[in-house]
Amino acid sequence: MRTHVAEPWIEAPLQTFVDDAHALFALLLHPNGQVMGQFGFTRAVDVMAACALAAAIHASAGELGKELDGKPFREMYHAGRDRQIFIGDVPTTRERFVFLTVFDSESSLGLVRIYFQELCELLEHAQPTTTSQTPISGTSLEHDLNRNLAILFGRAPLGADGGESSLSLS
Amino acid sequence: MSLVNYATREITCKIVYYGPGRSGKTTNLHYIYEQVPGDRKGQMVSLATQTDRTLFFDFLPLDLGTISGFSTRFQLYTVPGQVYYQATRKLVLHGADGVVFVADSQARQLAENIESMQDLHTNLAEHEIDVRTMPLVLQYNKQDLPKSLISSVPELEDALNFREVPSFAADALHGTGVFETLRGIAGLVLKRLSAGSGPAPAAAAAGGR
Repeated sequence: MRTHVAEPWIEAPLQTFVDDAHALFALLLHPNGQVMGQFGFTRAVDVMAACALAAAIHASAGELGKELDGKPFREMYHAGRDRQIFIGDVPTTRERFVFLTVFDSESSLGLVRIYFQELCELLEHAQPTTTSQTPISGTSLEHDLNRNLAILFGRAPLGADGGESSLSLS
Repeated sequence: MSLVNYATREITCKIVYYGPGRSGKTTNLHYIYEQVPGDRKGQMVSLATQTDRTLFFDFLPLDLGTISGFSTRFQLYTVPGQVYYQATRKLVLHGADGVVFVADSQARQLAENIESMQDLHTNLAEHEIDVRTMPLVLQYNKQDLPKSLISSVPELEDALNFREVPSFAADALHGTGVFETLRGIAGLVLKRLSAGSGPAPAAAAAGGR
């Protein structure tokens, strides 16, 4: 299984971590819950749920750390019976990310910590200094949106004249 | 912050349902969850108290299919409405691409609606977002209740809709207005993306299939 990434520069560092640390799952996400890269998940909607929860854990642990220790907790670890979870903060020059990984007895917390530090360094070096923002074509946006939402809700979509149409999702 | 992957042509957007406690934010998500086929949604995640009051957030990932050539996914969040969860609301609001403000139409809840709208403005400001630029729609929920108990839509417009954003009368429990509200905010968010003025530098989306 390969990693899926949002931006090409993330792929090599993430794949290196997965291979070296023998991770079962790996998630790199923005602190707002948006996925940047993942390994181990098969459905996008499941990745989104995992990211939302990981972002929530990270954010609330950060706030708890500020309350209790005067600074955010940057790493968290849970030892389950068969699987273990590690969550860490990935500070880069451009922005901050959150990393979550799940591993079993094929790996260990010590190894994961070592390779996590390497991942942070690889991401820092691989990160581009600028991003481009190209507008998305709005030509068919409203039509497609109306059609797809109507299909999701089991309704007939609105036609161009505001009436019902019988388009279907291809 | 919408994530746009131009290589794989994928878009992921974050929508937050905001509003006072018990206004019907979670009910909106429950209705959407029940309507959408299983292969187009993920599990609905609810971090709630034992009495089903939202503690942290509800979360529902939706696959909207292909829009303008991009595989489009929406992440729907709710916030806890009670006043004392202000810090949590601010966390959930982080990176939102659009906001649905769910107002409780009951006349006795008018002050709570106004307070929650002010709280939204405060939290957006703390994230350094100008409320005038954030895609926003209003939903006036519980319009099915007896007229004697609720504020009319014009009264609610007067009290809450100073930006004159799209607004929708709703009965979220039975689904009235839920679809229209989602379509309204999705349209605003995607139009903003197509205009190239997303709230943050576009990155990309990654996921499974």
